[in-house]
Amino acid sequence: MTELKFVFGDPDVCSGCMVCVNVCSMYYSKVIGPTRSRVRVVRIEPALDFPLFCRNCEDAPCIAACPEGALSRTSKGIVIVNNRKCNGTGACVAACPYNAIHIHPDTGKAIKCIQCGQCVDRCPADALFITTTAELAERDKEGRMMALHNEHEDELYEKEAM
Amino acid sequence: MISGLGGEILWIDMSRGKIEKKTIDEELVNKYLLGAGYLSKVLYDMIPAGTDPLGEKNILGIATGTLTGSMFPQASRHVVAALSPLTGIWGESHAAGFFGAELKLAGYDAIMFTGASKEPLYLNIEDSKVELLDASHLWGKDVFETDDIIRKGHNRKFRTLSIGQAGENLVKFAAVMNDRDRASARSGLGAVMGSKKIKAISVHGTGKLEVADPKNYLRQMDVFYERMMANPFTPGRVKYGTTSLVELMQHIGRLPSYNMKQGVFEGYDKISGDAINAKYFVKARADYSCLQRCGRYTAVRSGPYKFIGGAPEFETQSSMGSRCGNDNLESVLFGHHLANQYGMDTISLGGTISWAMEAWDEGLLTAEDTGGIDLSWGNADTIIKLTKMIALREGFGDILAEGSAAAAERIGRGTDKFVMAVKKQEIAGQEPRAQKSMGLAAVTAARGADHLYAFPVLDEAGFDEDIKKRFGEEYLPEMADRLSPKYKGIMVKECEDFMVMVESVGLCKYGTQIPPEFYYDDIALALKVHNGLNLTGVQLQEIGERIVNLNRLFNARFGVSRKDDCLPDRLTKEKAPLGPSAGEVVELDQMLTEYYDVRGWDQETGLPLKETLKRLGLDGL
Repeated sequence: MTELKFVFGDPDVCSGCMVCVNVCSMYYSKVIGPTRSRVRVVRIEPALDFPLFCRNCEDAPCIAACPEGALSRTSKGIVIVNNRKCNGTGACVAACPYNAIHIHPDTGKAIKCIQCGQCVDRCPADALFITTTAELAERDKEGRMMALHNEHEDELYEKEAM
Repeated sequence: MISGLGGEILWIDMSRGKIEKKTIDEELVNKYLLGAGYLSKVLYDMIPAGTDPLGEKNILGIATGTLTGSMFPQASRHVVAALSPLTGIWGESHAAGFFGAELKLAGYDAIMFTGASKEPLYLNIEDSKVELLDASHLWGKDVFETDDIIRKGHNRKFRTLSIGQAGENLVKFAAVMNDRDRASARSGLGAVMGSKKIKAISVHGTGKLEVADPKNYLRQMDVFYERMMANPFTPGRVKYGTTSLVELMQHIGRLPSYNMKQGVFEGYDKISGDAINAKYFVKARADYSCLQRCGRYTAVRSGPYKFIGGAPEFETQSSMGSRCGNDNLESVLFGHHLANQYGMDTISLGGTISWAMEAWDEGLLTAEDTGGIDLSWGNADTIIKLTKMIALREGFGDILAEGSAAAAERIGRGTDKFVMAVKKQEIAGQEPRAQKSMGLAAVTAARGADHLYAFPVLDEAGFDEDIKKRFGEEYLPEMADRLSPKYKGIMVKECEDFMVMVESVGLCKYGTQIPPEFYYDDIALALKVHNGLNLTGVQLQEIGERIVNLNRLFNARFGVSRKDDCLPDRLTKEKAPLGPSAGEVVELDQMLTEYYDVRGWDQETGLPLKETLKRLGLDGL
């Protein structure tokens, strides 16, 4: 099986500027708006900024959760949404452990990161990279980045009212 | 229809608790843009002579720019304005952060507060839901606590703007804070917020900004991004923010030291950017859409000045450091953090403490006045102690909370000659004898002493090419020479027009003025793709000029004329005693005459001539 890729960011390096958020909503929806973006940035004091993306889980609970069968994994390992099938039930949103899939307020369809790299290319702090579980372990040998994510998981992945 | 805006202005009557939404007046935007320009016009129309800055007739406005929330580099800013309680004239201040963009996403471009409440309230905005809520549980809390409580009570996605104890206690240089450590610090507008009993504004917007040219938007913004990232200034900005200015200013003798007696400080290397990076630097933080991330996050890990937070700026290294003869860096960093926490302007804070220190040094203030506090130069503990006492108006802090000019008036004994202020606002971290344009800029700025209204940095060092591009070769070499008064009237006038316009579109002075990467035509292009505004560079310059003239008319209403356009005698009559600019004074009259001339203002009164107002479409005012 292809090694599953995902976008990840370093919370010690990310400056919190939201450029990735804006690039994403502009690239895909032609508007500026965090609720139309496939990436979120969460600032946690002291001094942490988390850019958050689909983690491309091996078991992909979003795929299993969709009652319409709108989510699937491509041959390259990317989980995509079939807009013709998606009718915005939100089952995938509820199933995602990383709060990384949302219903677009204008289209009513699910949106999620598909590792296109548009934001990675433009990140002014070079905080973002496309990686795999194995590559991340190599890059971050002491597991600092993942530990920070785990330490703050309640705040990072909670599903808020809006 | 103008694109890329929130679309509505909120009008909040604090006396009656009434909330009104008004659609944006597009004609006004075409003539004044938003931000500083919009507030200049609205407040000019509504604040009459004789208004008490802390009374219910004053109006407090908070406005985003036309490009705030856009993808233009550093499009993060908002402007706060009112009649200033510190100066009694035009009060204006700006900040970055995320508040402005969030307000836009909720559907609003500005918030105007009239009247005054009897009970503390905060304004909560969730898209179309706008409500005034009881803030009695927040009153008395500092800025960080207020942010924590509000976000815990609503949710983490809210952005807050608030006052700390200093604003509540009507400290005359209290700041309006947002996003924890961003400050609209100058002019004492936090006290205006306090007088109206507005503790905070919390906002969350789930909306979107629809831009005028979605097809070409990203491509055009990429060009701006690439230029900003490729600018040779950007890596230094990331590494140091503004903190390395200590070294640079020491190098040209422009680092205010010992209450501006001199422009060099023997302990400069202990409070420098490198000193911070060596031991205290934690992270470079950015505001919305900011590519330069000049924000510093630092920590003192142990001892009496222990903290972690957003700090400092060069202005604080200067005001609470060299200006007070203080080379204890940990106290400077902690002092900045404390000022954020209480919500105070560090420039006026350090400027007022250094005034008191000089008066003490001269024997004009004694332990009897200070309640036993030792005001010797460089006493770091005193600086920290006074910061708290001023915010809470305790003891001697209660007098200092009025600012140096009013405090000197109260104390008397000739202490007024140590007041380093213009129109009662303390001069910022630019010793003007070492850079003449800064002396003129401090004098002509609408809000009293201020380096940012014109921000004439092009003669600081090495911008000859940009002067050639923006002004013309004929002004070289004098305009680029920081010690020459020649052409500085022209330079300050042009820089004011440009900077005021930049504050009206919601951009940062970093990227527009230093480094001078983006100019009128770039901003015109951004306004076209984002807002669909068809304004030329020439029209944008005229808008800037219109705003400056309107600010001057506002000040004339409160008695300002040429007689008030002056610097402390120390800077115009006493030669700089030490350092690379030793022997220099500020040749103010010469520069001012040239300035009034290019402004089209009367040489006697310093007020706009009739034909000037007519040319700018301000006739009848």
